[in-house]
Amino acid sequence: MQATVSEISSPALHKWKKIAYGGMQPGFDDNHTDESFLEAMVMNANVVRRDMLKVMLDSVSISEYLCIVALVVLVWTYTLRSTFSDKSLLLLDVSLLGSGFFILLLTIERFSFNLLLSYVLKISFFITGLYVLSPIYHTLTRSISSDSIWALTASLVVLHLFLHNYSGFTVKFPGAVENPTFTSNISLNASVVASLLIASRLPSRLHVFAIVLFSLQVFLFAPLVTYCIKKYSFRLHLCFSFALMAVTLVCVYRLHRLLFVFLLAVLVFVNLLCPYWLIRIQEYKFEINGPWDEAKLCFNIAE
Amino acid sequence: MSDQEKLRILMVSDFFYPNFGGVENHIYYLSQCLLKLGHKVVVMTHAYENRSGVRYMTGGLKVYYIPWKPFLMQNTLPTFYGTLPIVRTILVREKISLVHGHQAFSTLCHEALMHARTMGYRVVFTDHSLYGFADVGSIHMNKVLQFTLADVSQAICVSHTSKENTVLRSGLPPEKVFVIPNAVDTAMFKPAPERLSSDEIVIVVISRLVYRKGADLLVEVIPEVCRLYQNVRFIVGGDGPKRVRLEEMREKHSLQDRVDMLGAVPHAKVRSVLISGHIFLNSSLTEAFCIAILEAASCGLLTVSTRVGGVPEVLPDDMIVLAEPDPSDMVQAIKKAIDRLPQIDPQAMHLRMKKLYSWHDVAKRTVIVYDRALRCSGQNLLERLSRYMTCGAWAGKLFCLVMIIDFLLWHLLQQWQPDFDIEPVPNIDLTQCQHEEISWDFNEAESLR
Repeated sequence: MQATVSEISSPALHKWKKIAYGGMQPGFDDNHTDESFLEAMVMNANVVRRDMLKVMLDSVSISEYLCIVALVVLVWTYTLRSTFSDKSLLLLDVSLLGSGFFILLLTIERFSFNLLLSYVLKISFFITGLYVLSPIYHTLTRSISSDSIWALTASLVVLHLFLHNYSGFTVKFPGAVENPTFTSNISLNASVVASLLIASRLPSRLHVFAIVLFSLQVFLFAPLVTYCIKKYSFRLHLCFSFALMAVTLVCVYRLHRLLFVFLLAVLVFVNLLCPYWLIRIQEYKFEINGPWDEAKLCFNIAE
Repeated sequence: MSDQEKLRILMVSDFFYPNFGGVENHIYYLSQCLLKLGHKVVVMTHAYENRSGVRYMTGGLKVYYIPWKPFLMQNTLPTFYGTLPIVRTILVREKISLVHGHQAFSTLCHEALMHARTMGYRVVFTDHSLYGFADVGSIHMNKVLQFTLADVSQAICVSHTSKENTVLRSGLPPEKVFVIPNAVDTAMFKPAPERLSSDEIVIVVISRLVYRKGADLLVEVIPEVCRLYQNVRFIVGGDGPKRVRLEEMREKHSLQDRVDMLGAVPHAKVRSVLISGHIFLNSSLTEAFCIAILEAASCGLLTVSTRVGGVPEVLPDDMIVLAEPDPSDMVQAIKKAIDRLPQIDPQAMHLRMKKLYSWHDVAKRTVIVYDRALRCSGQNLLERLSRYMTCGAWAGKLFCLVMIIDFLLWHLLQQWQPDFDIEPVPNIDLTQCQHEEISWDFNEAESLR
C-alpha cells in the first residue's frame, strides 16, 4: 500500500516497530522476529524463596493435629474395649471443656463476659440436645455390620485428615472475618459421621452420649484452641505440640507396636521429609508473566 | 489470475454468524476479501439453533453449519473423532487445498485441523486471544494448543503481544508465526457528518459488562470523572452480569441524567452510538487486539484505553491515550484526552484509519501465509509422530496415540467410502450475480480494477 509508506515516512524508515497498524512494515515480513521479541517477559517474579527451618516449624501444626486425632481414636478404642467406663468418659468431657475454656480465656484478648455467657448457653443447649438424641444414635447404625463400620470410620477419618484446614479453624473464630472453606466443612462433617458410626457399637446410652460429646468437642474446638495458642505465642504452640506428640507416641506404643511405628513414620514424613521435598522442588518453579496477563484490579470489588 | 494460483480454503471455527464477536467478524471479512481476490472460500461451523445445513452468504461465501449442537459457550462437545467423517466429506467435496482454523477455544477448529493434518492437508491456525500460564484452565488449554500447533504448517496471530504469547504457549518456532492484525470496515464506521458541539463532552463505552472487560474499573472511574467535569456525559452500551453494579453506582452518585445505560447494542447500531460521542473508553483487563478501538477511531473518536495485551500496538500514539488499569490513572488519561479534544478532527482521523487498516490488506497478507504453508514439504505419519513425541513425557505419547487412531479411522473411512465416490461440488460463480447486493463497501477493490 502506497498510503502506508507515507504514514511511516519518519527518519527511522527501516527500523522495525512493534505496531500492528499501517499494513506490512516495509522491508520486513509478517513473521519477522525482532530482537525485542519476548523482551517484556518476566520469569519467577512472585516466587517466594522458603527456608527449611520455617517450613519445618510450620509443619508442626499438621503433626499436632494428627496427634489430636490419634488420641481421639485411642479413646474410641479403649472405650470399645471397655477399658474406659462411662463415668471416666464424662469426667474426661468435663475436664476437656473446662481446660478448653480456660485456654480461650487466657489467650483471646477481647474475651468479654457476654461472649462467655453466650458460649456457655450455646454449649448447654448443645449438650442437652445431644443427650436427648443419644438413644437414637445408639441404634441408628446398629444394623450395619461391624466390619463396614470399621472400614467406613477409618476412611472417614482419613478423609477428615486429608481435607482439614490446618492453617485456620473449622468453626468461626470470634471476630474473624473469613468463613471456613467448603473443604474444611466437608472434613468436619466426615469426622462427625465417623464418631456417630462408632457410637452404635457402644454398650449403653450414657457411653454414646459421652463419646459423641467427646469427639465433637475435639473435632469442633481443638482447631480453635490450637489456633488461639499459636496466635498467642508461637513458642508455647511448639512446646504444646511436642508435648502432645510425646504423649501420643507413648500411648500408641502401649496400645500397639506396629501402629506406633506407623505414626512415627508419618510424623517424620510430615515434619522432615515433606519440608525437604518442598524446598527441593522449588528449583523447578517456572512462572511466566508478561503483557498478555490479565490485569489485576488494585482495589477490592464490593459486591 | 490463473487457475493454478487459485486457492480453495476451508475456514473452520465454532464462532461464526449469527453469533457475534471479533473472531466472527474476522472470518467473515477475510473470507469476503479472499473471494474478491478470486479464491474459493468455504466456512465450516456448528449448527446455531435451527440453522443447520449449507447456506450461502454475501459474495457466494458458502457456509456449512454442521449438525453438532454447542454445549458450552458456543463450543461443540469435544469427541476427538466424531467430526472426522463430515470434515473428510467436506474436504473432498469442495476439493479444498488448505484448511484455516480460528480461535484456540474452538473445539471444532482443533478437531478439524487434526483430521486435515491426518489427511495430509496443509493447515494454518489463527490465534485470536491471549492466555495466562498460571491457572488450571490455562494450563490445560495450553496443552491442547500445543497439540494442535505441533503439526500446523503456519500460524497467525493478531498482534505482536499475541505472537509472543502463542510462541510461549505452544513452543512453536517464532518464524512460523505471522502477525496479521484485524482490520475495520471503515465504510461502515464513518464519523458524523458535522462536528459535535464541544460544550458537552460525551464519553462512550461499548463492551460486554463483564469482569474481563473491566466493568469494575468503570464503576470507579465514571463518578470521579463526573465529579471533576460538570460538562461530561457517559453513554454505556452493552449488557452483562456487571450491569447491576454500574446501575447501583449511577444511583448512589445520583448520575441518572449523566450516565445513559443503553443495554445490549446490536452491531448494526454501534456506529450510531459511537458518533454521538467525543471519546471512546475501553477498560478491558486483557485484550489480544480490540476491534472496538478501531471502530471508534474510524468514527473519529479519541480513544482512552487500558494498557493491556496488544492494545498499545493498535493505534498511533496521537490517536489513543493509554493508562494503567487503575482508576486514578484512567481518570488522568481521560483528563488528558479532554484537553486534547480540540485538536482532533474526526474526518481526518477517519481518512487516516482508512490508510492504516483495510481488510483487503489483511487478505493479501494472509494469502502470503497460505503460499508459504503450501510450500511446506509434506510429511508422512512417522515424521509427524516424532513431532508430537516432543510435546511432553506423558502428553507426547498420548498425542501420538490420538493421531494414530485418527489415521486408522481415516483409512477405515476410505475403505468404506472411497474418495472417488464422493461427488465434488460444481463450480458456481456467485460473485457476479450477487454483486449488487453486497452491503459493504468495496470502493477500494473497485478502484483497483
